[in-house]
Amino acid sequence: MAKKDAYQNRIELLQGTLDMLILKTLQWGAQHGYGIIQAIRTTSSDVLQVETGSLYPALHRLERQGWLSSEWKQTDANQRAKFYRLTAAGKRQLAAEYERWTQLSAAIASIMTPEGDPL
Amino acid sequence: MTRRRRDRELQEEVEAHLRMAIRDRMERGQSREEASFAALAEFGNKGLVKEVTRDMWGWASLERLVQDFRYGARMLRKNLGFTVVVVLTLALGIGANTAIYSVTQAVLTPLAIPNAARVVIVWTENAKRDWHQFPASVPDYEDWKASGIFSSLGAVADGGFNLRLGDRTDRINGLKVTPEFFTAMAIQPHLGRAFQADDVKAGHSEVAILSDKIWHSRFGASPTVVGASIALDGVPYTIVGVLPKTFPVIGQEEIYEPFVFSADIVGVRGDRSFQVVGRIRDGVSLAAAQKQMADLETRLSRQNSEDAGNTVALQPIAEAAVEDIGAVLLVLFGAVGFVLLIACANIASLLLARGTARQREMALRSALGAGRWRICRQLLTESILLAVLGGLVAIVPSLLAIRFIVSFHLDEVPNFDLIALNSGVLIFNLALSVATGILFGLAPAWQAWKTNVGDTIKEASRSHSGGVHQRVRSLLAIGEIALTLILLVGAGLMLRSFERLRKDNPGFDPHNLLTVRIALSDRQYATPEKQTAFFERVMLQARSLPGVVGVSAADDLPANDDIHGSGLYFPDRPDPRPEDVRIVMRNSVTDGYFTTMRIPLIRGRYIDATDTANSAPVAMIDQWTAKRYWPNQDPVGKSLKLGKTKPALRIVGIVGNVDQGVLVKILKGQVGQVYLPVPQQPRPAMTVILRTAGNAESLIPAVRSLVRGIDIDQPIFQADTLENTRAAGRASQRLATSLLGSFAIVALMLAAIGIYGVIAYSVGQRTREFGIRMSLGAKRFDVLRLVVRQGLVLAAVGIAAGLAGALALTRLLSKLLFAVNATDPLTFIGVTALLGAVAAAASFLPAWRATRVDPAIALRCE
Repeated sequence: MAKKDAYQNRIELLQGTLDMLILKTLQWGAQHGYGIIQAIRTTSSDVLQVETGSLYPALHRLERQGWLSSEWKQTDANQRAKFYRLTAAGKRQLAAEYERWTQLSAAIASIMTPEGDPL
Repeated sequence: MTRRRRDRELQEEVEAHLRMAIRDRMERGQSREEASFAALAEFGNKGLVKEVTRDMWGWASLERLVQDFRYGARMLRKNLGFTVVVVLTLALGIGANTAIYSVTQAVLTPLAIPNAARVVIVWTENAKRDWHQFPASVPDYEDWKASGIFSSLGAVADGGFNLRLGDRTDRINGLKVTPEFFTAMAIQPHLGRAFQADDVKAGHSEVAILSDKIWHSRFGASPTVVGASIALDGVPYTIVGVLPKTFPVIGQEEIYEPFVFSADIVGVRGDRSFQVVGRIRDGVSLAAAQKQMADLETRLSRQNSEDAGNTVALQPIAEAAVEDIGAVLLVLFGAVGFVLLIACANIASLLLARGTARQREMALRSALGAGRWRICRQLLTESILLAVLGGLVAIVPSLLAIRFIVSFHLDEVPNFDLIALNSGVLIFNLALSVATGILFGLAPAWQAWKTNVGDTIKEASRSHSGGVHQRVRSLLAIGEIALTLILLVGAGLMLRSFERLRKDNPGFDPHNLLTVRIALSDRQYATPEKQTAFFERVMLQARSLPGVVGVSAADDLPANDDIHGSGLYFPDRPDPRPEDVRIVMRNSVTDGYFTTMRIPLIRGRYIDATDTANSAPVAMIDQWTAKRYWPNQDPVGKSLKLGKTKPALRIVGIVGNVDQGVLVKILKGQVGQVYLPVPQQPRPAMTVILRTAGNAESLIPAVRSLVRGIDIDQPIFQADTLENTRAAGRASQRLATSLLGSFAIVALMLAAIGIYGVIAYSVGQRTREFGIRMSLGAKRFDVLRLVVRQGLVLAAVGIAAGLAGALALTRLLSKLLFAVNATDPLTFIGVTALLGAVAAAASFLPAWRATRVDPAIALRCE
């Protein structure tokens, strides 16, 4: 399918990683769905492209789990949009996921580039 | 937050997203059109995104279920004809299952005995002597009782009473029980008391206990019945108790009396005449009790030569209760299961055909954002909706079937009165409906899953169907044919078995024979002379009834289930070892018996009027006995003894073999038959046999009033023609035959519809092909042959599979068959021919239609 080729140079998100990215993005302040996608793309230098079909279910699920809250506000450009904000529980969740992520990436890194490996 | 508000909010959220994306792009210099297009493309399938997002709302699934159901209901309403056909098919299939389940749940309702697993029947077994589930003797009973293995051990024997209430006398089934029987059952009477030790002691007064059933039917459920006096066999008995409704019935007993061992059976090891029921002592497991009883019996059989080779088997009473009906239920459940499977296959096939037509609808829905899962679930919901509708409608046929089953009065079925459409049965009905819906719904769901949206839309202009679906439908039809064949073989075997019962030459002429049984109370007719005189009077008066051409009487009837057996000894030969003693059946008959029954004399003479109580004791034997025990000799003039110490009987004649009762044959194979003259071997209970010129049944009222006129206390019972008695067999077999027969017919109809559907559809698909063939010169007959052959190939494959299945499965039936082998070739051939013919007919109809195709129109269409 044609659509698939367009994504070939992007990295598929590991399962569960999207949650962490959303929480992290929202750490800087409330944001709407479109804004979150843009933020992740810019921050990752166009490597990570979150699809709407993944983002919106994730947002609604995180809200239901109590890690996010939402409210309708005006954007800078004076448009109405639904803004998501990190709750206290969400902040704790982010810290937990971040810790897990650090451990995991350190573990993977130590396998991929052992000490003394020229790579 | 309401669903609607949430939906609107999600919609707004998506719109806001798109607005921001468009605005960003326009700021980067794109035109409005370019920006909108790109933003929409980037966003992806709006419907799908909303759909998966909605999934995250907790209660979404329930909402969607309602939505699916609404949509499904709409679809079913739109295709009313289709819906009606499917619902009716299902109603038959599910209804049959529901009815059989109602029997099963009644039968499997646990007995109301506390700790029922500890209550066992103690059977005597002897492999060498062909004894299976043999009754016990008084010495056995006393030894077992003394063993300490049972906390209480009761003796139980069948009995019967002539109950007179007012001027009406009826034969009532009774049970003689020792007081320990009630303690073993551990159920207290609902009113009054159980039997006590005093009730069986010398000088006891006559007491009786009523079943709940007779208490209601004959005593108006009167609470003051305890203490009242009733006439049983012309003797006053005091009612001391009424049992609760839940008290398990062993035979058909309605009145209980204390079992007092008569002097002639006390201390006699060889006289086995009653059953023993006991409760295993607390702390002893069933296995341990069985082991201890085996040890005890080994010791006993070593001490007593008469018990050589005996072993005992403990059978839990609950197991004994379902033993007879178990095979019938298994067969019936198999049959209704098959019917439902066939119905499912038919419906799946219909849905597949319709699914092809609905492909565009599905493609459209999927283009509008419905996921594959969603579409499959939608289709499954529709199927389940159909099945539940079918289940609801099924209540009507199942009620009818339950009424039909109840009308058979299966006395051997425990809890027969519990057979009803109760909540448990309704829950089963619902569960089965849902399961059925899922089963046949899998086909269209699978079809939808495999459908490629793009291809379908591209091909949408043509009503093309995948060859895969047609192949699946062919497979379904083959499966149906196979299952139908198995059912037909089962039903065919049962029918053949009954036909054999009726048509076989039984060795006598069973037409125009009326038989009525009379059991004289030995208290009113204490001496053989009095008993003989009574029957003489009945026979004398019966002879003058209009249309009666002959009257006689006998202790036993052929085709009766009762066995009166005796050990066969020969005065002129050494006594055999106890385990080598052969059993023969004995029957006391009056002098006219053989001429009334039309049993031919082979040698010697018939028992006649010269054989009186005072003349030399004589006997007659049948041909089989003569050949078996006097090979190459003439037995006439020789002697036999029925029991080691019994007097020698001189054989005066040999008669032709008579078909013995069904049960006797099943249990023991062929057994010898000895006839004795009634004056020398009088019996208090006899069957009077009337040969009539015309309709024998219409004489019953006349005989009843005749006997009543002689003695109002003696009712007639089991009044029926001998033909009916022979044909009837056991009620459960009759029920199984009629049910299996109807199920097989339903299956045959469904299978015919299934074949028809597949062939008709294929003909529809090949209209163009036939048009081309015919325009190229093919004859109508060629097309006909082409199509019919397709149907016959399906049938042949199905029949082959079915034959293999039938060979494997009909063995389960063998318990219910009589005089027919479970692999009876005639049945198998006949059924195959029938099914082949039906398949040919079912494919002929669409084939004939194919020949009507006008080539010009066929080529133009589409």
